[in-house]
Amino acid sequence: MMIGKGNNDINVDIPNDAYDTGKDIPTFSAYLIAIVRDSTGKVIKVHKQKSHSSTANFIGLLLPLTWFRNTGSSFTMTNINNGTCSYSPNIGLNPECISYPNTYMNRPTYMATIQVGSGSQPNPSSAISLAAPIANGSGSGQLIYYPPLLPATATVSGNSVYFYISQEFSNQSGATITVAEVGIVLQLWLTNVNNSNYTNCGQVLVWYDVFSSPISVPNGGGIAIYYTFTVNP
Amino acid sequence: MVAPDLVSEDDIAKLIMPDDLSDESALKTYIEVKVYDKEGHLIQHHRQPMRSLTQYFLALMSIPIIGTYTGSSANQAQSILTSLFGLPSQQYTYNYYSANILWDWSLVLGSGTQSFSPTLTSLAAPISNGTGAGELYYGPFGVSYTATSITATITVINYSASTITITEIGLKATIYLQYQNSSNQTTYNTYNFLLTYDTFSTPISLPPNGIASFQITITFTG
Repeated sequence: MMIGKGNNDINVDIPNDAYDTGKDIPTFSAYLIAIVRDSTGKVIKVHKQKSHSSTANFIGLLLPLTWFRNTGSSFTMTNINNGTCSYSPNIGLNPECISYPNTYMNRPTYMATIQVGSGSQPNPSSAISLAAPIANGSGSGQLIYYPPLLPATATVSGNSVYFYISQEFSNQSGATITVAEVGIVLQLWLTNVNNSNYTNCGQVLVWYDVFSSPISVPNGGGIAIYYTFTVNP
Repeated sequence: MVAPDLVSEDDIAKLIMPDDLSDESALKTYIEVKVYDKEGHLIQHHRQPMRSLTQYFLALMSIPIIGTYTGSSANQAQSILTSLFGLPSQQYTYNYYSANILWDWSLVLGSGTQSFSPTLTSLAAPISNGTGAGELYYGPFGVSYTATSITATITVINYSASTITITEIGLKATIYLQYQNSSNQTTYNTYNFLLTYDTFSTPISLPPNGIASFQITITFTG
């Protein structure tokens, strides 16, 4: 803190505690965990790393109404197939907002999958899809995707609160498969309240990570991916 | 990190607890304050890391990550939304219509202090919007973003005759759940929460006719 005599920002020294020291106390953490099993079910590798990367789609979906009202703008969502949709929530009959479960119409916004891939890309925040997604199946280079498991609720531990999601993948391809990247894909529906306006935005990538070291999944084995999100870790 | 072999599901469960990695955070947040006197002189510049996100921040974050539904065919809300926000598992709608969700934020300032809890819902002593004694005039609230961060800013003016000391700050959220009611009118229910709560490491003093800007920046990429 400093008391200065400058006029506006001109010729005013910035106090030391106003600089970003890079030593901020964490208030949030995201973790990425991979557990690999061989064909007998034995755990052969556990990989755990910090998750670092939301995507632009995530930022756009988290923006509050104030931004949309102040700017009069919309946010363009880009799905994994490079299709786009315009997100501009507001109060009232007509604006399309994120769908919410209700007694009649089912246009669900839900977590479609944790997707794994064999590639990587340098700028995760601009990622709209994995660099080289591994397809769902038992063919060459493929992994069988099981349904994602969602949190029953958040867990409170002191001042920390966290939830985690997970998904398992089985390798029946006949050869070892290397997993190098992972992302969370959201199926996004926008709708107004009387169904006169609605848009299926498709599947959008909202979180993306490259493993610090690629992970080999042996034939007949599998991999389980866990993402943990925590406030006040 | 590569751990030794695991023999039980309990071992795996322990891995989920995020307490054993010490490298940088995936998310950095900080608060920045600039105080100007009545002549426009910058008299205080304060910046500190934000320390306290509530469980409601986590719940709001869950919407862009796991959505509002539990799955493609289950017309039920995520349990985090029902348990932490208290939202209904299904919103009533009229005549086969739909429901949707949106939210807004605001910055609130206070003159009290309290211990942090992830379930905090308000400041200890919020400073009212006004020009009377002990009140602050809250100017327009603004939000901006980059590819990896969101910044919320508010400017306040002290029109009272005395210096006002600001000791706490919070980011509030109002969630709007919109639907068509039984009269086929568009309506909404609101739910209010505190997303962040912090006390200033040194109090912020705002003299009469002084102006202060308060800014919270949340960065999502470590």
